[in-house]
Amino acid sequence: MGAPSKDAVDVVIVGSGAGGAPMALELGRAGFKVVVLEKGAWYKREEFVHDEILSSRRNFFMPMPWDEPHLWRTGPDQPYARTNEAWTANCVGGGTVHMSGYFYRLKPIDFRLKTEVGEIPGANIADWPISYKELEPFYDKAEEELGVSGNAIPHKFLEPRKKNYPMPPLAEHPVAFEIDKVCKALGWQSIPTARGIASIGYKGRSGCTYCALCGSYGCENNAKSSTLASLIPAAVETGNVEIRPRSMAREITVDENGNAKSVIYIDENGLEHEQRAKVVVVSATAVESARLLLNSTSSRFPKGLGNDNGLVGKNLVFSSFGQSRATFRISKQKEQHPWLGTEAPFVNRSLQEFYLMPDNRFGFRKGGTLGFMWQHPNPIFAAVNMAKKGESGVFGKALKDKLRDYKDSRILEFEIYGEFLSNPDTRVEVDSKVKDKFGLPVAAVTIKRHPLDLKMTKFLVERGEEVLSAMKPEKMERIGTAGETTILQGGTCRFGNDPATSVLDKNCKVHGLKNLYVVDGSFMPTSGAVPFTLTIVANSFRVANALVTKMKAGS
Amino acid sequence: MRHLSFMGGGVVLLGSACKDEPKSPSKPATTEVPPTQALTSSHKTFTNEEFAIVAAAAERILPKDEDVGALDCNVPDYIDRALQTPQLSQMKEQFVPGVMALNRRAQRLVKTDFVKATPAQQDEVLTTFKNSGERTGENKFYEILVVLTLEGYLGDPSYGGNKDRAGWGVIGFKYVDHMPADPKAGYDGIKQLHDMKCGGGKGC
Repeated sequence: MGAPSKDAVDVVIVGSGAGGAPMALELGRAGFKVVVLEKGAWYKREEFVHDEILSSRRNFFMPMPWDEPHLWRTGPDQPYARTNEAWTANCVGGGTVHMSGYFYRLKPIDFRLKTEVGEIPGANIADWPISYKELEPFYDKAEEELGVSGNAIPHKFLEPRKKNYPMPPLAEHPVAFEIDKVCKALGWQSIPTARGIASIGYKGRSGCTYCALCGSYGCENNAKSSTLASLIPAAVETGNVEIRPRSMAREITVDENGNAKSVIYIDENGLEHEQRAKVVVVSATAVESARLLLNSTSSRFPKGLGNDNGLVGKNLVFSSFGQSRATFRISKQKEQHPWLGTEAPFVNRSLQEFYLMPDNRFGFRKGGTLGFMWQHPNPIFAAVNMAKKGESGVFGKALKDKLRDYKDSRILEFEIYGEFLSNPDTRVEVDSKVKDKFGLPVAAVTIKRHPLDLKMTKFLVERGEEVLSAMKPEKMERIGTAGETTILQGGTCRFGNDPATSVLDKNCKVHGLKNLYVVDGSFMPTSGAVPFTLTIVANSFRVANALVTKMKAGS
Repeated sequence: MRHLSFMGGGVVLLGSACKDEPKSPSKPATTEVPPTQALTSSHKTFTNEEFAIVAAAAERILPKDEDVGALDCNVPDYIDRALQTPQLSQMKEQFVPGVMALNRRAQRLVKTDFVKATPAQQDEVLTTFKNSGERTGENKFYEILVVLTLEGYLGDPSYGGNKDRAGWGVIGFKYVDHMPADPKAGYDGIKQLHDMKCGGGKGC
């Protein structure tokens, strides 16, 4: 390849987020030499400033769509648009840096959904090749290493677990207890939401200061359990792990036997380098990892690396999204709702009552999770939502009245994390005609929603609205019942036992190659109905455990 | 519906203003700014004439009443400065030609220059842009005008708008005043972003 070579290492990892960091840490601890290539910057905590424009509205975290677009179309018959959809933060720590940190485990039934609900016409679901039991010890490890606060209480879908969370729950706003009351009256059980946020000092990190600017910001005091604050420093401390920021992987090369040989990457000065390694690990998000494999063509792999069966990029899943908001007016409702006088950022209540329906009465079996929270306090975000656009848009006095009303309001909302059924029209390809600023073909996403997802999400939104309306808000607004959360992504390199129907084996090694692994959400054959982050971390610890054993035994 | 609210706070960057193919703007695009006019401007992005139109339009989006308006918060200066940043170069291409298009619409519709029109007439002209239908240049211009006006009214004051944090007072935003991560004296968001993204390298 003409690119100047770096000294060969044991393992090169592409990406430093939820998937890459656990691998780096465990391999470093085991004494292997590791290089982590991260396309984004390595921010220091002092660089996380409470500035909405910087953090949320420019390219501090996400690239601009004209520099590095993701092409996006809603169905194969639609035209592509250039968007920034389905990017997560481009920086050391990846999406865990700007996440809100809603940390749920999957349930045992998520690992055998097809067995549980049977074939679904138009969808392509599959059981996982592992069970909850096999992942459980690594959930324990992930919660302990990252630092998770919460309180696991018995409920009908509580996953089996040996112990409670490593930290007590964060302080909750009293509205949480109102939600508990209302749910109980409806015959449902609300449960505390565990968070990837330190509630007390933890492993040298400070506890949360309740600044309220959490999701979409980096955490200035390392209380948020990003890999940047937790696993990455621990990995570096082993002395065996080098983090190389601003290093954009462009291609994985193969040797004469068709195994992975090196990663070619572009540094911050636009220069190419080749990093050779005995093992290559890819963890750049489900969309970007598929893109990297598809862009890594060779005479042995003309359709892309690991793509002999054409499945790389197929079976893309996100998380089904729906949302409603309830507005409480402080001046008018404070007597009725004394809790309106309290300021505290965390609600931390969830409802998993409808995680799996007992029968098909409402037209679907697999449901999801409702998470309750205050609307994010970002003021520009709020005001742009109020102004809207087109015929429904408002400006002038009408807009200012909305701003004033907002000042007098507390807005409680819920969002849905629902099953997202994979299907043939939801996938990632690369478009050789459209290149990013590095000159690399970009990821092109096609997305088509399965009708059952929409039915299920609408059902969950209606249940959430029952909760909100029982709390007697001044008004309620439905945001939508047919969305998807594209920062949660998986499925593009499904793992499975059969090389004909999966890309990865049970240990997330690409079928047919001896030394190529994918450890972000790509492995997930089904989306589950909670945010993916904790599961990705746990799975990466599981894969690392197997890989360390294999490397120590083998070569 | 595509949604990113999982992490809260809308990482939707610039709203759908950034979702189109980068191309030269459609309808409002007409004449280039004559260079002599640009040279005599005291502003960075706009000619003096354009700046006056942008200021008048922003003040109609957020007019002064019992609370501060866009002009009180230095929103036009914010817009002028923000459109100089590389992150908004495509937005600038779409927005700047729309300014004189707005003026021409005023001349046609209410028979006078936009800045000389009454507030009611200005609202009428802006409403035609707002309601002009998806994917038209007018629609895009209106959307950018609203987004930038709100950024200038409610963004960190270091970007040049939100003078004396008055915009935050109107909406009741009070989370930036006592935390270690709050911007320090001398903080400059534009410089911060530039330094973070470029890190001394040439690849930026």
